[in-house]
Amino acid sequence: MSARKIVITSGKGGVGKTTTTANLGATLAKRGHRVILIDADIGLRNLDLVLGLEKRIVFDLVEVAEGRCQLRQALIKDKRFESLSILPAAQTRDKDAVSEQQFADIVDQAAQVADFVLIDCPAGIEAGFRNAVAGAQEAIVVTTPEVSAIRDADRVVGKLTERGMPMRLIVNRLRPEMVRTGDMLSVEDVREILSIDLLGIVPDDEEIIDTTNRGEPIVLDETNRLRTIYDKIARRLEGETIAFTSFDQQGFLGRLFGALKAG
Amino acid sequence: MHVLKQPHDDGSEPNPDARAGDIPAKLGRAIVITSGKGGVGKTTTTANLGTALAARGARVALVDADVGLRNLDIVLGLESRVKYHVLDVLDEQVTLDEALVRDKHNETLFLLAAAQSREKDEVDTQKMRDMIHALRERFDYVLIDCPAGIELGFKNAVAGAQEAIVVCTPEVSAVRDVDRVVGLLGNAFRPQLIVNRLRPAMVKKGKMLSVEDVNAILRLPLLGVIADEPEIIITTNKGEPLARSRDGATASAYHAIAARIAGEDVPAPAPEEAKESFFGKLGSIFGGKR
Repeated sequence: MSARKIVITSGKGGVGKTTTTANLGATLAKRGHRVILIDADIGLRNLDLVLGLEKRIVFDLVEVAEGRCQLRQALIKDKRFESLSILPAAQTRDKDAVSEQQFADIVDQAAQVADFVLIDCPAGIEAGFRNAVAGAQEAIVVTTPEVSAIRDADRVVGKLTERGMPMRLIVNRLRPEMVRTGDMLSVEDVREILSIDLLGIVPDDEEIIDTTNRGEPIVLDETNRLRTIYDKIARRLEGETIAFTSFDQQGFLGRLFGALKAG
Repeated sequence: MHVLKQPHDDGSEPNPDARAGDIPAKLGRAIVITSGKGGVGKTTTTANLGTALAARGARVALVDADVGLRNLDIVLGLESRVKYHVLDVLDEQVTLDEALVRDKHNETLFLLAAAQSREKDEVDTQKMRDMIHALRERFDYVLIDCPAGIELGFKNAVAGAQEAIVVCTPEVSAVRDVDRVVGLLGNAFRPQLIVNRLRPAMVKKGKMLSVEDVNAILRLPLLGVIADEPEIIITTNKGEPLARSRDGATASAYHAIAARIAGEDVPAPAPEEAKESFFGKLGSIFGGKR
């Protein structure tokens, strides 16, 4: 059985790609899968920080690509999850230090020793994006319920469609109370525009900022509701059908058509 | 044909008395709004500072450098008026006049939109530099909204600028990215800092970096601090920059920053004190980086 190779992308920056990669990766590992997370943001890496592994970096992705070390030497094991490791990006190199082919080769190598390879894509749709997508077989598109984020996601969905890549959507940082007051787009609104299948809805949580700063993925916190939410996302990725949590909200389009279940 | 100048060698300052219709006697200031990390508020900052500077009577051009992922038009509520874009100008398909879109509310505020269905590598850096120079001949301020990342889009956005405003949120990852960008910019751009999306209540609880924490690492002149307010999301979705009004703390903060950019001696907002500092954590990241 070969591994699932999934790129986490968005177009717009700051919508939560890295946080999603870290928490989803940690959750999949907790569920017993062997997981490798690859930071494709060469020059602006952050996945190491979000997982609190920045001090343990010895080699990076560019050094693997250049054949200066083995993949297994560059992988950092996250001791909290046993079967989770990350391949950090180089911090002082440019995105064009690695070719699409080299990137795809590294993803394939990782896939030989993992069940899930999650690729944390940089913002934008330049060379860094093309690299991150090169080795993936499926995509998770992360967006926030904001007009600008959705426009960027739409552009990315178009690019992934051109490649024939299957993709699913995570709506991140939803604030149900703002949706209720009509000040934020609802999940149906977002889905209606992007028209791709929904993988998960993650509410905005103040704690994310703190846990990210501390390098402790929020799914480590047994009391946090996001733990359950990421668990459901992981199970949906595994193929389970799980109903979406109702945040008791109907958006503009939802009100209009009345039929779709609220996120 | 003008000769391109290095940043600041002309020593030009904008004419603070310039009014609509006036042609500035000297070259305007080209300022790139950048951050490295995406989603920290570059576009929102550009729209609001442009609005606030124009409210002072200055002639302002906002340039969206995010070819392929433009958003400045949405944030300004001008998306349905955009006909031409930066690449049309660079390709000499249209003149600057044809491509500049006047703001609905501010006579002296103009947008030059990015192309949505083109790629960043279609931008010729030298032509971009020339175009920004041409804008500086006609505007007091040219604010360039930089894309996320440090790839070609960043390099082109920076090409014609003489100054930089870096936007950073109080997050370790944003600080790290900004630190990298400041390193790439070097001293020539005299980068100044806006700390965006501060939540003072979280800072007090020790759950968010304080302005001091952020600037202990970055050590940049502080231009201003903007609090995290739901209104920002609302006004951004609606295409109505907060700074169109002067009401409320956030709108006032943008107007204060605009005044500081214009050279007025307005104090920067007093940064919040953090009870528990993240400095140890930050030190380990930045001290030990390879």
